[in-house]
Amino acid sequence: MPHRWGMAVDLDRCTGCGACVTACHAENNIPTVGDSQAARGRAMHWIRVERYWEGEYPDVTLKFRPVMCQQCDAAPCEPVCPTYASHHTDEGLNAQIYNRCIGTRYCANACPYNVRFFDFFHPQWPKPLDAQLNPDVSVREVGVMEKCTFCVQRIHAAAIDAKAANRELKDGEIQPACVQSCSAKALVFGDLNDPESEVSKLSRSDRGHKLLDDLGTLPKVTYLNRPQA
Amino acid sequence: MKAVYALYSDPDDVQRAVDGLRKAGIADDDITVISSEPIEEYEFSHRHRATWIHWIAGGGGAIGLALGTWLTSFTERAWPIPTGNMPIVAWWPNLIIMFEMTMLGAILATVITLLITARIPARTPKMYDPEVTDGKILVGVENPNEGSVSAIERALMSPGVARLKTIQL
Amino acid sequence: MNEALAQRISDDLLRPVVTTTWKFWLLVAVLGSIVAMGLGTWFYQMYMGFGLTGINMPVYWAFYITNFVFWIGISHAGTLISAILRLVNAGWRRPVTRCAEVITVFALMIGALFPIIHLGRPWLFFWLVPYPSERLIWPNFRSPLVWDFFAINTYLTGSLLFLLLPMIPDFALVRDKTTGWRKKLYSVLALRWQGTTKQWHRLESAMQIMAIAIIPVAVSVHSIVSFDFSMAVVPLWHSTIFAPYFVTGAIFSGIAALILAMATLRKVLHLEEYLHPVHFQNLGKLLLMMSLLWTYFVFAERLTAWYGNEPSEVEALIVTQSGSFAPLYWTMVVCNFVVPFVILSLRKLRTITGCVIASSTVLVGMWLERFLIVVPSLSHKYLPYTWGHYRPRPVEIIITISTFAAMMLLYTLFAKLVPIISIWELKVGEHPVAAGKAAELREHPLWKANP
Repeated sequence: MPHRWGMAVDLDRCTGCGACVTACHAENNIPTVGDSQAARGRAMHWIRVERYWEGEYPDVTLKFRPVMCQQCDAAPCEPVCPTYASHHTDEGLNAQIYNRCIGTRYCANACPYNVRFFDFFHPQWPKPLDAQLNPDVSVREVGVMEKCTFCVQRIHAAAIDAKAANRELKDGEIQPACVQSCSAKALVFGDLNDPESEVSKLSRSDRGHKLLDDLGTLPKVTYLNRPQA
Repeated sequence: MKAVYALYSDPDDVQRAVDGLRKAGIADDDITVISSEPIEEYEFSHRHRATWIHWIAGGGGAIGLALGTWLTSFTERAWPIPTGNMPIVAWWPNLIIMFEMTMLGAILATVITLLITARIPARTPKMYDPEVTDGKILVGVENPNEGSVSAIERALMSPGVARLKTIQL
Repeated sequence: MNEALAQRISDDLLRPVVTTTWKFWLLVAVLGSIVAMGLGTWFYQMYMGFGLTGINMPVYWAFYITNFVFWIGISHAGTLISAILRLVNAGWRRPVTRCAEVITVFALMIGALFPIIHLGRPWLFFWLVPYPSERLIWPNFRSPLVWDFFAINTYLTGSLLFLLLPMIPDFALVRDKTTGWRKKLYSVLALRWQGTTKQWHRLESAMQIMAIAIIPVAVSVHSIVSFDFSMAVVPLWHSTIFAPYFVTGAIFSGIAALILAMATLRKVLHLEEYLHPVHFQNLGKLLLMMSLLWTYFVFAERLTAWYGNEPSEVEALIVTQSGSFAPLYWTMVVCNFVVPFVILSLRKLRTITGCVIASSTVLVGMWLERFLIVVPSLSHKYLPYTWGHYRPRPVEIIITISTFAAMMLLYTLFAKLVPIISIWELKVGEHPVAAGKAAELREHPLWKANP
């Protein structure tokens, strides 16, 4: 049975520190665009921490929600792509092939979660960040769309290691950069096809819900509610 | 090419000339009437009514439909790439492509039929007179038999007001 | 028909083709430089990166897609109206058809350019063309953008042929009436057209079939343009009403463009005797009807969204009607409904000037309508954290303006090269058919044998 990668996000654990965002930028060679471009809406955070304030001052609560590509099983971004740049893999990943992309940006419009990003300019890194690019991840050229891959390079590397050692992949062996860097352990990654994996158990939790579930996109990311006080 | 023709101002004269040519034993297909506009009200203009062009347009549409069906379902099966939980051969969207190809086929078939049957562009110079542009109507016979030339000329002159011309190209 | 009248029609309608004043060259120079500036801006945008535009996350489509929908909409005046009028054999269509069909062809060319301008990597646009490539991959037929490619392709081919075929007899006329280089040029273009009864019949049957075929194609084109939006689960886009709503809006803006083009031609080329107030009266009534139909669709769409009370839809609705987009929204309502309704429903105001004023506001209103469909929904999608704004940047404004100049330039050049009113079709309209004679002819034995 092929793997079916998914994630669980425990909103009760998330402190909103933003380590996942930074780790994702470093791992995936995501350029930083600078403050003026960021103010214009050109920042590319494959994962972002959404902040919502609830209540009236001074009685307010702050809620965080890390949002990355939900790797939908019925992804609205996939069929609208005229060149198959956005498509579904055997392991349920919502893949983006940069070389096929011609930059219609239709996928980003169709995505209800707004987790797809466009390379408005040729990517640049201020020194010395240009010396720390990840060799396992391709740098995207101007005019293509990019998005969270669940760190597919790490998934493939682990799968190759396991195959070389002639063994099965273990639960928790693969950690996307955001999961690895989350000190509060709010993010859990794993195989949803393995009923014993931690992510499967969390996904079945009665605290669990999907983001914009009623749109019928069948996301593979489960959010765990904060218990009511 | 040799041609014998006459120019008329009044379509009634044209009808008489055409009838005269018929009486002189000229086949309908050999009688050419040239005008600067379509003239619907007279019998002579109804000798070549085509009805089968509609069927050819329909045939072109059928070919387009077949091509559209093949193009969509063949390419989708050639490298099946799943997207958005949709079937590999998704008929709803394919119907759109098939419709457009059908219409394109019908339109192209119509135009090709027009060009071939109306001989546009003609490969050789044809009987013509620039006076047609000024409203004159030309009736004539291209490459007449040597023996029938005088009969043709008599028939063309029968309405009485024609200007007879013979050209050699 | 009377030869003197034929002579006058030919002379009047050929005059713009054979006489050229300095005003023409000045106009071409001005428009040409605006178009050149637009092209230069596009290349600059490609060289520097798409970031020169105001596009951002989440508003990934804006001016360019607005222009795309707008220009494809404009293209729905010409061929569609001309085809309908041809099929119902409306006599007043004769001076109108060609100047309408030209709008279709040029507006389609310009409109079809925008999806390419708006691409992140425009040099790869040909990947939408289905051909067996070394990449072994074909276009994704599930994508509405591929439907667009096919629909626009069919529509452009069809309307180009629909325009060109009736031009052949007129080229023959210009060939006979001119000398020098013009004679040589038009001899080639006339394709040795003779004008035999057989050729006329074949041409008219072909035009009849083309007219029948082009109507569903035109409807499909703007339906598919609407599918670009309604296929996506975006608030206010995902609507079943979009296809007929877009087709209505397209015909609406197309008629407005046609009225403006006709009024300009009438004035500049002195065609007062051919484009009569009755043409404007009739098109004005059509414009009024489309205005009411458009208003009906907007009402149905807005009411449904408001009553349904789905939070994300209501948010997009509110931001359009009373939020930051409200000034544009209410300008649109005035331009598309109030002004045309007042002017065109009062017979006293439905003059040529009145029609021109109403058409101008309709063009502004319809451009705004497209903008208000594209942008507010994208800037207010589901997750409030990602809501955004959009402001156009200079490159987008320059390119937008230059396409209007491109339309005018192409139209000017066309009117210089081709008689803008179909001369032979106009002459047919002048035919005096004596009732007695027609009846007498029907008694002719050969007619009976070969009706």
